[in-house]
Amino acid sequence: MNIFWRELKAGRKGLIIWSACMVLLIASGMGKYTAYSSGGASGELFNQLPSTVKALLGMGSLDVNVMSGYFALLFLYVELTAAIHAVLLGSSIIAKEERDKTAEFLMAKPVSRSTVVTFKLLAALTNIVVLNLVTLISSLVLVSIYNKGQDITGEISYFLWSMFMVQLVFLSFGALLSAWMSQAKSSGAAAAGVLVGSFVISKITDLSDRLSVLNVLSPFKYFSYNRIVAGEGLSPGILILTVLLTAGLSALTYYFYGKRELDIG
Amino acid sequence: MNIFRHELKSLRKSGMLWAAAMIALAGLFLSLYPSVAGDTEDFRKLLEGYPASVRAMLGIHLDVISSLMGYYSMVFVYIAICGAIQAMHLGASILSRESRERTADFLLVKPVSRISIVTAKLLAACTVIIATDMVFFAVTAILAGAVAAAGYSMHLFVLLNLPLLFIQMIFLAIGLAVSVFFSRLKNVLPLSLGTVFGLYIAGALLNADAKEGAGRYLSPFQYFDSIYIIEHSGYEIQYLFAGALLIAVAVAVTCRIYVRKDIHAV
Amino acid sequence: MTVIELNHLTKHYGKSRGIRDVNLAVEEGEIFGFIGPNGAGKSTTIRTLLGLIYPTSGSAAVFGRNCTEHPEIRKELGYLPSEVFYYDNMRVIDLLNYSASFYKKDCTKRIRELAEMMDLDLKKKIDDLSFGNKKKVGIVQGLLHEPKLIILDEPTSGLDPLMQQKFFELIAEENRKGATVFFSSHILSEVQKMCSRVAFIKEGEIIKLERMSTLQESSYKRISLESAAAIRKEDFSLAGVSHLEVNGNAAKFIFKGNINAIMKAITAVELRNLSVEEPDLEEIFMHYYVKED
Repeated sequence: MNIFWRELKAGRKGLIIWSACMVLLIASGMGKYTAYSSGGASGELFNQLPSTVKALLGMGSLDVNVMSGYFALLFLYVELTAAIHAVLLGSSIIAKEERDKTAEFLMAKPVSRSTVVTFKLLAALTNIVVLNLVTLISSLVLVSIYNKGQDITGEISYFLWSMFMVQLVFLSFGALLSAWMSQAKSSGAAAAGVLVGSFVISKITDLSDRLSVLNVLSPFKYFSYNRIVAGEGLSPGILILTVLLTAGLSALTYYFYGKRELDIG
Repeated sequence: MNIFRHELKSLRKSGMLWAAAMIALAGLFLSLYPSVAGDTEDFRKLLEGYPASVRAMLGIHLDVISSLMGYYSMVFVYIAICGAIQAMHLGASILSRESRERTADFLLVKPVSRISIVTAKLLAACTVIIATDMVFFAVTAILAGAVAAAGYSMHLFVLLNLPLLFIQMIFLAIGLAVSVFFSRLKNVLPLSLGTVFGLYIAGALLNADAKEGAGRYLSPFQYFDSIYIIEHSGYEIQYLFAGALLIAVAVAVTCRIYVRKDIHAV
Repeated sequence: MTVIELNHLTKHYGKSRGIRDVNLAVEEGEIFGFIGPNGAGKSTTIRTLLGLIYPTSGSAAVFGRNCTEHPEIRKELGYLPSEVFYYDNMRVIDLLNYSASFYKKDCTKRIRELAEMMDLDLKKKIDDLSFGNKKKVGIVQGLLHEPKLIILDEPTSGLDPLMQQKFFELIAEENRKGATVFFSSHILSEVQKMCSRVAFIKEGEIIKLERMSTLQESSYKRISLESAAAIRKEDFSLAGVSHLEVNGNAAKFIFKGNINAIMKAITAVELRNLSVEEPDLEEIFMHYYVKED
């Protein structure tokens, strides 16, 4: 447990900064809602735009005139922010022992490597849960201030659930990278590369249906926004697959970290 | 010159990687152009039936999108994000690296002034970025030629691509300036990713209501409006100026702080 | 000529560590010892000399010029830190050549000489070197441009005794050729062997500055003895004896002064065992501290 508390304490400042940024992002995003919703007259026409054109304009295939559609648009950026946080957290929480040359210190203690990984992952999990809750609460509060139409509490909760799953995937992926790559230093760069890559893929697949198979590579596309906006919630099948993916990535993290030649130079 | 050469050598590999990544990204986007162009063409026919006022509201965008240049300018922002991350990361790590890898004691006891260290490193970073951009531009121009149905204006293509260099220079300078405030910057990535995506998101949200106004100065991604570039074949001078000012201030701050900085033992 | 001159040098780090009002002058051709326990301010002083940190007040000058304003003084300066870190992905020879490129003179011959002397493989990658071998790279790196001032910060840590020996020979040789040496350490015996003058630093302040010869004359001995009969305290109550502990047939004390006087006192008792040792640094320090405080 001491590792858990130590990690929580070490990550506290970062978490506060990320949470503050998240609240700011949602607040400034909601502040723009009036600008979007006032364009009501063009709404009908807007819906006839081919999805590729809307994608190019940065709106995906969402109806941004209603609150849930607008929130979905904003959510894209919220999710991106949370994913950056998760992937960096995942890769650094394991890699930092070698980066800061403290691996020797920690590994000389009477704890097994899997215990170390367990507590570190738990601490990281706590971090992403906190960020998720901060996002949830600030979304609910801020949306209720601007929302003149239908209540969308349900939709928001679904969105945040899907975000939690995406956070989990990126967290475990980051952890796996740092346990697996021989150079602890470059695992962060690799993790960031994967994140930017999957973000760009999610944008590209908007442009052409032929490429939708690529969506498998981009966790941002695992949960359909349109489905959530339509009030249908998350697809249980994909939910299960995502959990399995996370479990698989975590298991590999344990496996590779157990075999790792620690760089204590 | 020796510091410059040393830095260049150590940055070579990552520079090539970035150029390759950006070319791949641009190639992917360009390869989608024919199908997107088809979509917009159909939609434009449908628009003919609508009143002129409605057409005016959306039409300008559509005209722009259905042309190769317009399409490229729309997807360009993702290339700019990549480039900005490269530049910000380069800027934030090139000076702080010596402290992080504990080689500051090696370099800073050599008979060179801190200013010349900053100059050499800044020059090396600029060289890497310019080289990346030149390779990127050369390959992308060929790819664009391959997908363009009816030829395209090279002049406009250059104009659309140049903002990549401008944006990168801005982020390079921001990265440098931010990094000197840390006594030991342990992990550069959160800083560079956070700043770039933060400013991108800020820009995207600001874009929603106002094209003009003070808010636009906030995000370097909004300094170069593609529609303006396509219509006027030039840049908005006040934003060019703002960018130059930002770079000058950031570099001045970097020098000022770095020269007076205490380099602590490990 | 004065090579190093510190004038009322003061550096605050936040609240705690740092140095206060340090005054020193090191003359050309000297080997100057700088002694103090960990955290006393040795490295802070050295880092100011190297222009790595800026003094809060006072000044530090090398070759008569201010350390922080004149980077060119470092042309004639060689530095060996206690822990060495270099660019991991470089080969030893590449690093040494990079280092040499800062001095605008041909150092190839000197690099070969030094590497041979220190038994260092120039083709290896720095990443693959052991701590001791990295240290050797540090030594070659610090001396390859034949500096006129050599600054050593706890230089022997990580070197095996054989290499320490070679290293000291190398430094002595440089000194014979005219180089001034500033030698910081917490190991008294090292300093004793080489230095002509020594400064003691404690909690950021210089508490004693002495010629080595004076220090040796007044050198402290830790004497412990056992005798056949019980020892009385009065047997050793003479000038120069301190920290006397008598325990039945055994006695322990520290002595400073004329060695003949104490020998007479010792021969007066019937000895069963006797040891005369150099007191370790801590004891010397304690001695100084008791006196100075």
